[in-house]
Parts: sequence; structure tokens; C-alpha cells
Amino acid sequence: MYRQRLTWTRAVRLADKYGTIGLRWVLALVGICFATAPYLYMTLQSLAPWREVNRRIIPTELTTRSYEWLLQGSATAVARPWLRGFGNSVLVTSISTVSMLVVAMLAGYALSRLRFRGREAIYKFILFQMFYPGIILLVPRFLIVRQLGLYNTYAGMIVPLAVNIWAIFMYVSFFKSINPAMLEAARIDGASEMQVLFRIVLPLSGSITAVIGLFLFMERWVELIWDLIVVQEYPMMTLNVMIATMSGPYASYPGPLYAASVILTIPIILVFLIFSKHFTQGFKFVLK
Amino acid sequence: MRRLTKGEGVTGWIFTIPYLAFTFVFFILPFLWGFLLIFSEWNLISPVREFVGLGNLIEALQSRRVHAAALVPFKIMAIFLPAVLIMSLGIAVLINSFKKRQGLLAVAFFLPYLASGVSMSLVVKGVVSYTSPVNKTISSIIGYVPDWLGTPSLAILVIALMIAWRFSGYYALIFLSGLQSIPNELYEAAQIDGAGRIKSFFKITIPQLYPALYSVMILAVGLMFGVFTEPYMLTGGGPNLATHTWYLEIYYQAFNTLRAGYASSIALYNAIAVFIVVGIVRRIMQAWGRAHGWED
Repeated sequence: MYRQRLTWTRAVRLADKYGTIGLRWVLALVGICFATAPYLYMTLQSLAPWREVNRRIIPTELTTRSYEWLLQGSATAVARPWLRGFGNSVLVTSISTVSMLVVAMLAGYALSRLRFRGREAIYKFILFQMFYPGIILLVPRFLIVRQLGLYNTYAGMIVPLAVNIWAIFMYVSFFKSINPAMLEAARIDGASEMQVLFRIVLPLSGSITAVIGLFLFMERWVELIWDLIVVQEYPMMTLNVMIATMSGPYASYPGPLYAASVILTIPIILVFLIFSKHFTQGFKFVLK
Repeated sequence: MRRLTKGEGVTGWIFTIPYLAFTFVFFILPFLWGFLLIFSEWNLISPVREFVGLGNLIEALQSRRVHAAALVPFKIMAIFLPAVLIMSLGIAVLINSFKKRQGLLAVAFFLPYLASGVSMSLVVKGVVSYTSPVNKTISSIIGYVPDWLGTPSLAILVIALMIAWRFSGYYALIFLSGLQSIPNELYEAAQIDGAGRIKSFFKITIPQLYPALYSVMILAVGLMFGVFTEPYMLTGGGPNLATHTWYLEIYYQAFNTLRAGYASSIALYNAIAVFIVVGIVRRIMQAWGRAHGWED
């Protein structure tokens, strides 16, 4: 009798335990489906026959016609170099991101670990810039870019977004958390500041650089307003802008637009998944 | 304090030169030019720049389009804030309840943040289009197809939910690190006092999440004043200016009607609006935090 009661309570407890684990997984899977549904929808529609796009969720057959249409540069009145648009996105985003990281590392190191006159003033100014509303600068920045002859050029997209204040701020606070004794030891051994930065500080900054770089990369990759106003000609446009400007008159070509969106989305997801190991480590620091 | 190494001051300046040069050309110059622009009427092309004093600022105050733009953040916020808070808190609590695979789940829920607003707008446009499967299902229930983007309240709903979808995983990570810093003893003490799960969620979890809630609230409210991509792609600000955001109006005035000075004046009002509203939200959050024993 006693034994039976014991197994009964144990069974209830087990059911309770596995029940909540099962429920958790069900909830998690529903959530993940919800989080990825638009990506799946986009991919399915890009492979659907044109008569079924946006009319069926799961197409009756799969075809690559939308992708072929893009590769042919759109068989319409105005040809659009979609592949080149993708290349433009890669070019603009990678140069901007690398530049934002390098400038931020150098400035972050100087502002946190080197002593020089004016350092405090510069740091205070950085804080001011971080909270200054960028929208007020939009029109005058555009005018300066035009004045410099950078309108409708790659440089016009890259240079004004080549320095990121938030990244400098993040590096300053990260470098401050490095034990100064390590840097001091290297300096006593006769290392120059360059060597201290490259041999000691940067190897410690792997995770934080991955996370900062990831944020900078994805924000630059989907930048709309700046790329939209600086560049006017199709051969110069980023893929994101090309899709945005096409959605009006081309609304009758939803299939190819989904295909272009898939091409736009794949790199960013790949980059994110490659760095996702660092992401979970370094993200906590970024949040602080 | 350690001794200065040789040439440290010089190195310091050399390392900050790229930042300083950029700041001069793309921050200080536009900063000054921006203030000049506000007081002038200029079409970006003509050599004539007319000084109009406070003309632009007064005109913007009286514009129906600016009034609409000033209202839209609050309309989106009314749906966005509850939606994103419930979603992100739910995700954070869910991830936190797993003992293993938290990293994997965090990555999965972060995926929406990677989305291009342009691509997502295409998806939404397709999903709410007249012949879409979703609308077919809805019309078989309610008897007609709702005009999602042509009805003011529905257009706001669609845009608010799109932004909530995109940011819920991001905010969930902020909440997750907040949840993990809550000491377990608090829950154990509450359990001894006989508090159930729901009661301890509202009495312990939510007040303990104050630092995370504070950041999320400020990020989320600030976001409402910079909405551009979704209405640009989906509604163009319509119907009847119902989704006409600040950024749409600034973009339209600067680059469609080419009124650089007027656009800059509207940008100034936008900055003032963010400053005031975020300031109020900060005060409210701080008062709430103090009531739960947090220092500012």
C-alpha cells in the first residue's frame, strides 16, 4: 500500500516535470516559428510560380523563375543590375564596418588607456554626440557631402557613416575593464603603444569586437534613408535601396522582389550565425 | 598613477585623429550649418538663400502635416509598447526557464532584429494584399476583406506590430540578463510566505527588473519618433496622414519639396519632442523605481 502510494506521487511528479519541460519546448518552438515566419514566407514566395505569389502560403511547385528574372537584370523598361546592387551592399557595408571598428578601437584605446592633454574634453564631447539627435544633422550632412563632390558616389555612402560614436563609447568602457598591470608589464619590456594595442589589448577583445562589429554590420546593411538620398543611379544603389525604390511601379513583380529580399537577407543571417558563439558571450557587456 | 611613457601624449592624439577629423566635418560643421538653415529658406539648388528668421519654425507649428507627425508616435506607441513588453518579457522568462540551450534560443529569438525593414514591408504588403490567404480566411469569417493599409487604425496596428516583432527578441535579451541577476533567495522567501508563481512574478520579478525595464522603456519610446521605413514602404504616410511620421515629413520636405531650412526646423521640433517625452518617461520610471527601493 505504502509502496503503491509512493509510485503514484512519483508518477505525478514526473508528469509534472516532463509536462512543463514539454510545454516549454512547445512554447519555444511556437515562438521561434513566429520569429522566423516572415523569412520562411519570403523564401517560399520567391520560389513560387508567379501566379501563386501572395495567393498561396505553400506553393504547389517550386521554380527559380524569380531568381532568373533578377539575374537577367529585370526584363522591363528600366534594367536594374541586381547582382551589382548586391555587390554595392557588400562593398559599402564592409568598408564602413571595418572603418567604424578601426577608428573606434584606436580612439577607444587612446581615451581609456593613454594620458594626454584634452582627453577628458574629447570624452565629454563624445557623450554629447551620442545623445545629440542625428536627425537635425541629416540635411546639413547631405549638403556637406554634396559640397565635397561625393553626391552619387560610393564615398558619399561610406565616409559619412565611417565613424560610429556608440562603438567608440563601447570600446572605451571595455578597455577600461582590462587589468592595467598587463599593459604596464609590456610597456616596461619596451613595447610601443602600437604593440601594446595589437599584441595585448586586441587579442583580449575578440568577443566584444564580434558583437560591436555585428551590430554595426547589420545596421549598415539595412540602412535606408541615407543611401536613399545620397545615391540616385541604379548602378550605385545598395540592394536594400534598389528593392525599396522598385516596390512602387514594380508592384506587379512581387516574386522577384521576394527573391531579391532573400538575397539581401542570407548574408546577414550567415554573418550572425557565424559570430553567434561570441554573440551570447559579448552581448552582456554591450547591454551594460 | 603610473609614469607617462615617452610620446604617450603624441600617440594619444594620433590615435584620436581619425575620430576628430570625422567629427569636425560630419558633426561640428553640420551642427553649425543646421542652425543657419533653420532660419533660412533655400531650395538646395538656387544660389539665393533668404533669411526668414523664425518663419520656418512658425510655419511648422501651424502645419497640418507636422501636427499629424507629432501625433503618430503616440498612436503607434499605444499598441507597440504593450505588445513589445509582453512579447519580450514572455520570451525572456521562457528562455530563463531553460537550464540548457539558452544561447541557442537567444540567437533564434534575435533573428527578427536582423530583418531589413524594406523586405519585411514587402512580406507584410503581400500578407495583407486583397487576394492573400490570410484575407481569404478572414473574409470567410467576417464576410469582407479589411483594407489593412487603407484604414487609419489598422494601418497603425500593422506598423506597430511590425516594429514590435522586430524588437521583441532584442529587448528580451535585456530582460534576460536582468532576470539572471535576481537573487534566488527572494523567490524562496516568497514561496515560504505562500506566494504563488503569478504573485511572485508581479511582486518580485517585475520590480527587480527595474534597470532592464528602464532601458527598454527609454529605447522603445525613443524609437517611436524615428519610424521611417515601414510607413515609407507601406502607406506613404496615409491614409490621410494617419501614419505620417516625423521622419517621413522631414524626408519629404527636404528631398521632395527641397525646402532645406523648413525640413531642418521640423527636425528641431522632432528632437525637442523626443527630449520632452523621453524625459517624462525617465521621471515616471525613476519614481516607480524609487517606490520599489531602487536608487536613481
